[in-house]
Amino acid sequence: MTNFLDICEKAIHGPIMSERDFDMKVFMPKLNELVRKYGIQYDRENPVPCDDQAADNLFQAALEFLASVGIYCQDTNRLIQFTKEEILDGIAKAPGQCHLGEGKDAKVFGMRKPDDQKIPWLHVGSGIVSTTEEMITNKIEAYASIPEVDSISIPALDSIRGIPVAAGSPVELYAAIRSVKIGRDALIRAGRPGLPICNLVATAASAVTTIAASAPQFGLRPTDGWLCGTVAENKLEYGTMNKIAYLLNWGANVGAETAPILGGYCGGPAGTAIVSTAYIMIGILALKGSYQLHFPVHFKYGCSTTRDVLWVVSASCQAASRNVPMPVIWLGYMAGGPNTKMYFYESAAWLLAATASGAPSVQTPHSAKAVKIDGFTPMECQFGVDMAKAAAKCDRQQANHLVKKLLEKYESQIDKAPSGDRYQDCYNVTTGKPSEAYVRLVKEVKEELSGMGTSFA
Amino acid sequence: MDKNQILEKLAAVVMDGTEDEAKVLAQAVVANKIDPLEAIEQGLSKGMEIIGGRFERGEAYLPELLMAAASFNAAMAVLKPEIEAQKKQLVKLGKVLIGTVKGDVHSIGKDIVASVLDTSGFDVVDMGVDNPSLNIIQQAEKIQADVIALSSVMTTTMPAQKEVIDTLKEMGIRQKYFVIIGGGPVNPEWADRIGADGYGKSAIDAVALVKGLMAKKK
Repeated sequence: MTNFLDICEKAIHGPIMSERDFDMKVFMPKLNELVRKYGIQYDRENPVPCDDQAADNLFQAALEFLASVGIYCQDTNRLIQFTKEEILDGIAKAPGQCHLGEGKDAKVFGMRKPDDQKIPWLHVGSGIVSTTEEMITNKIEAYASIPEVDSISIPALDSIRGIPVAAGSPVELYAAIRSVKIGRDALIRAGRPGLPICNLVATAASAVTTIAASAPQFGLRPTDGWLCGTVAENKLEYGTMNKIAYLLNWGANVGAETAPILGGYCGGPAGTAIVSTAYIMIGILALKGSYQLHFPVHFKYGCSTTRDVLWVVSASCQAASRNVPMPVIWLGYMAGGPNTKMYFYESAAWLLAATASGAPSVQTPHSAKAVKIDGFTPMECQFGVDMAKAAAKCDRQQANHLVKKLLEKYESQIDKAPSGDRYQDCYNVTTGKPSEAYVRLVKEVKEELSGMGTSFA
Repeated sequence: MDKNQILEKLAAVVMDGTEDEAKVLAQAVVANKIDPLEAIEQGLSKGMEIIGGRFERGEAYLPELLMAAASFNAAMAVLKPEIEAQKKQLVKLGKVLIGTVKGDVHSIGKDIVASVLDTSGFDVVDMGVDNPSLNIIQQAEKIQADVIALSSVMTTTMPAQKEVIDTLKEMGIRQKYFVIIGGGPVNPEWADRIGADGYGKSAIDAVALVKGLMAKKK
């Protein structure tokens, strides 16, 4: 199997070309050709398809796509190429599991298949920016207090001593270290100090910040997880490769982060499904991930709950979970925000689609497209856990039926979705408790979902 | 083919994104002594307008838009020398400097805006991604831009949009440029807060915004 130095070597010696030529002459035409060759077709009537043969066909298309196109290294302007044999060898030798956490919270994050009734690995929280340390502490304590939770993501700080956190600045480094310390302290307060944090370093965009804030004296351990991401689409830069090199040398968990964009270079749903599946192979081959965080989104709407993106999530999740042994945390961006029914309808639909399609893990769906400052609360996390457990009881056909009903409730509102409340608007910041109105709203939605056939018992 | 047929076909090949055919038709424009400016306005631009509308409504995707832009530019490469030979002038609506701010390597949204502005008649200079504020300003000065368009896709790079505007003020040259902003986490409130001249939600929005700003300049 190719190791990371092989990837570095490929990035130095691969064929040279401009980034524009890669997009226009390699990526887009090859994808278009393979959509036709493999007959990949979006089925808008069935956002959660149920066809194992189609899933395997999608995997074959993705395999040929990655072997034909490769990955573009933005720093060397060269292609990192893989033969089909190298890809298949990487898949064959992938462990299909990841060890995360310490002490009583140490667990093995493994695989699921479509229609699997096993509860997915429950990853809660988000890196959505928060404005105060008090709110961050409250949130993390609340996440860790949900007994079923297997791992968490911690919020990013938006400023230090009133100085805005700017990517790549020294303030970012201060904020990253501070976030790590707050995160670990809050986990201790919740009685779960060993719970793995899997979105490190939360406030970091630059390699130097990630590497510096990961020094063990600040509280991180190799059994946590670090996100190292590609650039859309199929591109990699040295900053990410530097992080990976450091983490691999340390023996820490690399979280391969990938996010195909429907409507971007991938084109429509069929092309996006191919790229989405290929990204899971990239997670193993190029990013050397112990696990992966993967979140297809819509270019125009910035969310993952349009009918076509749900289909992409379901189809590519089935293709990957049947053929690629990579523990993937699937994540969705919701258009609606906290304390809106819209958010919970979307969240339920997305969790049903991913879970029934064999997602090894689902993360709390992110509210308000993940761009609203303070726009995320523990209530969404608790609902996400309850809904994922309920979704695990559904097979693909049942999930498809429910998702279609949910789409009827929110689909027409996506373009003008309410961004909802901030944490401080629907939670008591001192006690960390939700408002009665918010508790009532979630109860109402769960009753509606139960009436539609969802089993929360 | 008569003139109308050529113009219609020019629009069609732009929509289809077929570069080679676009070149051939542009050569036909020259051979048939059709006014090249009319060919741009009534043929190429119409095709771009239609594909841009489809993109905006979610009926077309980025590949179609980029292929259309490539066809547009392939035809323009044939027509431009003819315009010069006829001593006519291609009227540009204004000069736009566009780029993603410091610390941000996201490019898709910015690429789309650049492409649509370019084919809508603006002179566009694309600085790419991860640009320090002073580099952006120096480039704007160098090319004598009318508009500086700044993209940011992460909350941690939004402050860099503000930094460009603040630095323009410090240098005493803020009034020389319209500064517009865009990107996933960016919204009109942020634009107001940092003193930008406008916010574009989409590429088509951005074109309308820049046209409106340029009209004020006149």
